[in-house]
Amino acid sequence: MTRAIPFDDHSRQQTKFTTCYMCACRCGIKVTLEDGKLRFIQGNRNHPVNQGAICAKGAAGIMKQYSPARLQQPLKRRPGSERGAGDFVAIGWDEALDMLTQRLARIRATDPTQLAFFTGRDQMQALSALWAAQFGTPNWAAHGGLCSVNMAVAGLYTIGYSFWEFGAPDWDHAKYFMLWGVAEDHSSNPLKLGLDKLKRRGAKFVSINPVRTGYSAIADEWIPIRPGTDGLLALAIVHVLLKRGLVDWEFLIRYSNAPWLVVQTPGMPGDGLFARDALGNPLIWDTVDRRCVDGNLPGIAPALLATVDLPDGRRAKTVFSLASERYLDDRYAPETVAAECGVDAQTIHRLALEMAQVAFNQAVELPIRWTDMHGRSHDRVVGRPVAMHAMRGISAHSNGFHTCRALHLLQMLLGALDGPGNFRARAPYPRRIPMRTLPENDPAVIFAPDTPLKRGTYGYPTAPEDLVIDAQGKPLRIDHAYSWQAPLAAHGVMHMVIANAVNRDPYPIDTLLLFMANMAWNSAMNTGETRAMLSRKGSDGEYLIPFVVVVDAFHSETVGFADLVLPDTTYLERYDAISLLDRPISDPDAAADAIRHPVVEPDRDVRPWQDVLVELASRLRFPVFTAADGSPRFKDYKDFVIHYEKAPGVGLLAGWRGKDGDQSLRGEPNPKQWEKYIENQGFFTYPWPENMRYYRYANKDYLEFAERHALFGTPPVQVVLQMYSEPLQKFRLAGQRLYDGPQPPELADCERLAKYFDPLPFWYPPLEGAQEHPGAGGGRTVAEAYPLHAITQRPMMLYHSWDGQNAWLRQIRSENSLYMNRGTARGLDLADGDWVWVESHHGRIRCLLKTMEGVEANTVWTWNAVGKQPGTWGLSPDASEATAGFLLNHLISELLPRGASDARRWANSDPVTGQAAWFDLRVRVRKCAPGEKGIFPVFAAAKPLPGDSGYRPRVWRYHT
Amino acid sequence: MKPAFSLVFFTVSSGAGLGLLALAALVDLFAPGSLPAQALWRGALLGLALLAAGLTSSLLHLANPRNAWRSFARLRTSWLSREATAAGALFAVGAAYVLRVFGDGAGPVRVLLGLATCLLAWLVLVCTAMIYASLKPIRQWHTRWTPTNFLLLGHWSGAMLLAALACAYAPRAGAFFALATALGVAALAGKLAYWHAIGDAALAPTLERAIGVREGVHGPAPISVAHARLLDVGHSHGTFLTREFGFVLARRHAGALRVAVLALGFGLPLAWLVAGAARWQPAIAAAACCIIGLLVERWLFFAEARHTVRLYHGDPRT
Amino acid sequence: MKLGLLIDLDTCVGCHACAIACKEWNASSKVNGALSDYQPFGAEPSGVWFNRVRHYEVGDYPASKTINFPLSCMHCADADCVTVCPTGASYRRADGIVLVDQDKCMGCNLCAWACPYGARELDEVSGTMKKCTLCVDRIYDELLAPEDRQPACVLACPTRARLFGDFDDPESEVSRLAAERGGFGLLPELGYAPVNRYLPPRQPRPVLAEEDVRALLERGLASLASPVIRR
Repeated sequence: MTRAIPFDDHSRQQTKFTTCYMCACRCGIKVTLEDGKLRFIQGNRNHPVNQGAICAKGAAGIMKQYSPARLQQPLKRRPGSERGAGDFVAIGWDEALDMLTQRLARIRATDPTQLAFFTGRDQMQALSALWAAQFGTPNWAAHGGLCSVNMAVAGLYTIGYSFWEFGAPDWDHAKYFMLWGVAEDHSSNPLKLGLDKLKRRGAKFVSINPVRTGYSAIADEWIPIRPGTDGLLALAIVHVLLKRGLVDWEFLIRYSNAPWLVVQTPGMPGDGLFARDALGNPLIWDTVDRRCVDGNLPGIAPALLATVDLPDGRRAKTVFSLASERYLDDRYAPETVAAECGVDAQTIHRLALEMAQVAFNQAVELPIRWTDMHGRSHDRVVGRPVAMHAMRGISAHSNGFHTCRALHLLQMLLGALDGPGNFRARAPYPRRIPMRTLPENDPAVIFAPDTPLKRGTYGYPTAPEDLVIDAQGKPLRIDHAYSWQAPLAAHGVMHMVIANAVNRDPYPIDTLLLFMANMAWNSAMNTGETRAMLSRKGSDGEYLIPFVVVVDAFHSETVGFADLVLPDTTYLERYDAISLLDRPISDPDAAADAIRHPVVEPDRDVRPWQDVLVELASRLRFPVFTAADGSPRFKDYKDFVIHYEKAPGVGLLAGWRGKDGDQSLRGEPNPKQWEKYIENQGFFTYPWPENMRYYRYANKDYLEFAERHALFGTPPVQVVLQMYSEPLQKFRLAGQRLYDGPQPPELADCERLAKYFDPLPFWYPPLEGAQEHPGAGGGRTVAEAYPLHAITQRPMMLYHSWDGQNAWLRQIRSENSLYMNRGTARGLDLADGDWVWVESHHGRIRCLLKTMEGVEANTVWTWNAVGKQPGTWGLSPDASEATAGFLLNHLISELLPRGASDARRWANSDPVTGQAAWFDLRVRVRKCAPGEKGIFPVFAAAKPLPGDSGYRPRVWRYHT
Repeated sequence: MKPAFSLVFFTVSSGAGLGLLALAALVDLFAPGSLPAQALWRGALLGLALLAAGLTSSLLHLANPRNAWRSFARLRTSWLSREATAAGALFAVGAAYVLRVFGDGAGPVRVLLGLATCLLAWLVLVCTAMIYASLKPIRQWHTRWTPTNFLLLGHWSGAMLLAALACAYAPRAGAFFALATALGVAALAGKLAYWHAIGDAALAPTLERAIGVREGVHGPAPISVAHARLLDVGHSHGTFLTREFGFVLARRHAGALRVAVLALGFGLPLAWLVAGAARWQPAIAAAACCIIGLLVERWLFFAEARHTVRLYHGDPRT
Repeated sequence: MKLGLLIDLDTCVGCHACAIACKEWNASSKVNGALSDYQPFGAEPSGVWFNRVRHYEVGDYPASKTINFPLSCMHCADADCVTVCPTGASYRRADGIVLVDQDKCMGCNLCAWACPYGARELDEVSGTMKKCTLCVDRIYDELLAPEDRQPACVLACPTRARLFGDFDDPESEVSRLAAERGGFGLLPELGYAPVNRYLPPRQPRPVLAEEDVRALLERGLASLASPVIRR
């Protein structure tokens, strides 16, 4: 009776290994093809990132590959049509590239800054940054400025690695794990795999998040925090630990700058900088020898708490003294912060004690011999197994930089960094604090025609001299990164580009080149106005941004605003290098990199963007891309990856280097390197020997190894963790007009530097809420007028705006509502299913309300980027993403309201890094009048692109 | 449950037909002559026709009717198989009975055929009812009142048709009126008892039970499972499950429809039986009224049924 | 033999990986034929899925908990969906897997009515019922590597919240875990004997007991008066 089972016909199948690209996780995937069609995509069990697991997005790759949203061929705006009308004609690649090359050549030969090249959710910044620097424009950044720059910069200036990109929790040994501000991704599978391991091992998982979904759903303890107050909670915990003496003193002395002496000469230059000896070494007060001594020496006995007179007579205090004074103050007592952050004092006390209990009384000891920077050998590694991970809920606030530094401070006090059970570094990190990379800031170089930048397009300023400003203190970049307004904007400030370009601030540009960045929709603040700005004309009737090039694989909302569209391949159709030089996929125990290679042939006239970049670089004769005889040095992207060397022996891919492919991390180019990767399932790992796995910022073997293999780039020295950040103090001195060097020309900028460039972390209320509200009369703030916090979460199965096109994923979610705490709703006379107006200082939207229990009482939230412009993303114009999906972006302005005493409108950004402060949003919610329903605003439908009849099947039965 | 009109019509039509068949055969068996042969075979034929119409209608409910011939395959376990088999047998036996009566045949063969027709008609009715009553996840169907009511309602509507036949052909219709009245009252009582039984929500499973999570789910403070609520159903639009089981009947509509059932299905026909003239035209009208009322009843039977899967879609209880 | 799934509600983060992996595998699986998607790019996209993840909350704020809940066929030992099927399309194998023979199903929906879990969905194009096959065409496919002979959903799950095995074998991992952690079947009172088991959210042990607090504070206090620490 039981029928025979009809198995797959494996004789018609092929298996290939490549890397997923449905999000930034870059899991290894095994792709089964049947007669050239996609049969099955699963995780590669051998891959270090995902170990065989695959998430909903990855498993839905088939529907991405066959999505009707795929761009089919290059397009140009129909001559005579308006930008934004979406009226295109199909052209060939030759015409497209010729058009672009001509224009870029002209720009490069006259004023390279006229090109603004910004990349969104790409994973090839090593190439695109190089390309921009070779072109000679400083106007390049990826999307970090609107995403996670606060985490990166806070980490890189404090511990030498960072949350999210450059570190990972130690899932194997952690006994207490705190997740701060992470919704449902970032990272995706590694975090999921890790949480499972943690729970199996009985570790406690605490999630600090205003919303209880996703990861927070499985937390052992959920802390419903008020958005933007995580820093308060962290510093209140610091307060408790300091008060109780629950601090790893040894760790602070050996690994951090807590004992360093800080000059105390208020009102005078040099105030707040480290006291240094004649050789520039930072000084400490030796409690045994009772004198000031070089703080880098081994064997010294530095005081943690001390106020001393330096040899030159100036007064100095230790970093730790300053920290103690600040954090022991009542301002950071649990009882004081409880009402502000929504976490009661008892809980704060308990959390602090729990962390201390685990750190000090449940230490992990691994029988691993390792050598510290002073050559001393230790026979075991001791870990204080408290681990953390943090992301957007910390980052997307105007106080995110300092909040993230507060978390690192907490980790330092517990001795919980890169040890067993901690948040550990991922190769090529940890690196020196900060890295010795500086953005080009010489106007002579920047404006020089046909000249590459000497430095790169990005970097890590340590002093006002490093800013990218002109002699008058005005920004030299179109996004104002590395200016007085955003000094440490290491990831650029992409969300300001369009507004600045239209305002010709600091200068007009000619061409805006956007790659994989949906700036005309969900990646913009103030979406409607941003779209208007893209097609705004000057009094002469010309577009204020004369030429817009959009490069993408799919029909996003931004494509409609292009003058030239260059269609990219999908991730299954191309080569990619997921490089250690870029955003590494290493884990703490092994360096790793990976590739993509084509597993399906494109069925349309598309080209991989990296190949196009190499082609353009060759045509434009960029020096790095041009051989001595003037011919192209690299045939294509593949060739570039193999042969390009950033430093001798250091290329984009670290595996199978050397003529014979037998060298790792460093070696001559291997012409067969791609083949080796493909043979090895598309990835390379270099497991660290045990003695190189922990305390790497002070691990002699690791640092020497890293230097040899150019992971570190400089002679191996201990990376001293910076509890106190001197670069910040330098900027502060400039603001106080006490700096012997560049100072901000305007008083308002001085005041901001003086306030926000505090060398020790502190908490301040997010800027939007604290801002005076103009329309409210008499000192009322935005927070008072708009009492609710509004945030978004990224759903696990949709990656930003890229998956509404996916026929399977969108069945799970194709519309969104605004979630509110049920009790709060009752208090506002609102109920589940009500249509509501949501208003901010900037605008209003209308949407559907849903109530739930698991959301902090003063917070409303929705899923990110579900709403779409009708007709985009291969969807029919009546798709529910367009008719019932909505964005909060319409409520968010890139500028704060102007207060009475404000010289100008401030950016809605973190004043240190320029990070877009999305989650600072404050709103009020009220019920719609009867009959008022439907989402608002609505947008006109995008026209189908050439070659697209607009027909969408009513039924689809995909199968091989 | 989504009220599928094909099934609503099927059960009412075949119910009436089966009731009519059974009653006709019984009348023939125990009160021979009270109904002339021409009424008898017409009645039996009408009964078979109504059954056939119903079954044809039920075929429309099938998404893949080309496999309908397979429905006899699971006699051992499936009430639908049993119903199909019994119906098949009934057509054969019933047709033979009709022919016998038509041909004025008498004697033990007619008796046996009549008996078999009646028994088979009851069997089909019970099997049809049990298709619904055997479904444990549908609380409003999984009660002994379901087969009881199918039988009573089938006989009630059948009796109304028989009464019309009697008006047209029988010397005296009084006994048929009395029979119909008795069955009508019994059916009404059964219907009211059914509504009372399903009204008791105390035994209904809850969302908390459906997801099975117990008290003390964790946190530093104990978390009560007293309020389980749906947060997100997992899909933005409908599914087969929401289309099939997601039907919601507003309470005020249910109330109005129940009144319609009582009035059309019972009140008016009973009133006519008690007070009306024994002519076949009003009799047909009364029978039609009754059947319309029963169509509403059956529609409500579907509409008021709440499948357990609704709990997973967020209903707090069924 | 009772093959089935063990699903860990303690670690399910509701990512829908299992739902999509299932959809993806079965789209081209020959056991059920292609799965229909209706209006895939239109106003009301829906389709045939064998596994759906639903999300619930229990308790009241701030002591609320969110539970992510994957639901698919329980492969009941006493499945009424098999009992009620008139054509014999719905059947249970000796290994416990309940299947629908696509060549026999007439699409009467009765089995879906009999299933309280919503495991079965009608494919409007084929007119037949489709459901989780426990990836019968993976677990018995000798041409797959042994570690790949598991249901797609189990292989996919990034929190390892799904396990596949024989609940009739007390030594199997699924049986062991179910016993250890109080695995439960859904709605057992209906008498279907669902084989799939759900593991309830774990009760964490408190990190700090009373006596720990005192010791900890004493330690902290003592450390403030520490002797000299050398770098």
